[in-house]
Amino acid sequence: MTNKEKYNQVFMESFSVSSDQLNENLVYQSVPQWDSIGHMGMVAALEEAFDIMMETDDIIDFGSYNKGVELLAKYNVVI
Amino acid sequence: MEGFSLNSIELQEYQPNRYPFLMIDHVKLVIPGVSACGHKNLTLNEWYFPKHFPGAPNMPGALQLEAMAQMLTVAITTLPGLKGKVTHALQHTVRFRKEVLPGQTLIIETTVLSWNRGICKGKGIGYTDGEIACEADMLITIPDILDQYLPKKK
Repeated sequence: MTNKEKYNQVFMESFSVSSDQLNENLVYQSVPQWDSIGHMGMVAALEEAFDIMMETDDIIDFGSYNKGVELLAKYNVVI
Repeated sequence: MEGFSLNSIELQEYQPNRYPFLMIDHVKLVIPGVSACGHKNLTLNEWYFPKHFPGAPNMPGALQLEAMAQMLTVAITTLPGLKGKVTHALQHTVRFRKEVLPGQTLIIETTVLSWNRGICKGKGIGYTDGEIACEADMLITIPDILDQYLPKKK
């Protein structure tokens, strides 16, 4: 499984969204499941999927599907 | 971390609920961040028994769940720096197995499964007369901490 596939899978499973919803419009609180609990669950799932530990500032900045791609690059995870 | 007990007065330093919504009487042993167990004594004088139900009083299931959540809270708020913090419920799954009646003692055992970034995942079991009366998987949070990790609304 590629990093992109892993990344997408985490989003689809965490927020119950389909692959065609994985775009720039998918942002924090844009779907009911991406609430405070969903956000922390998604972060935990990404940390497990990529064996990383995200810094607090990055968890706060992780406000969209697209922003996440940029942030994960800091952890040498190229999506 | 070493465990300790909390009497009905002491536990209020770690549990912000008060009458008539304080649902635990005594913490027999709390190991901060790990577990908390104790009990709630039920007398016929409990405020909810006259109406739940006339002639057949039993402890409302929602309050059994609340008792387990309050005990789990103590397992977290006894961690350094968290004394007196308010917790909120996020998600609970509960199963009730038998009625909890006046005159009984509800023994409550809770375990912290994880505590990370303001969210506690835990489980609780309530016993009366040596049998399981209720059990729950619980997700609680300390909003003050959780909010520090959330994206800011634009």
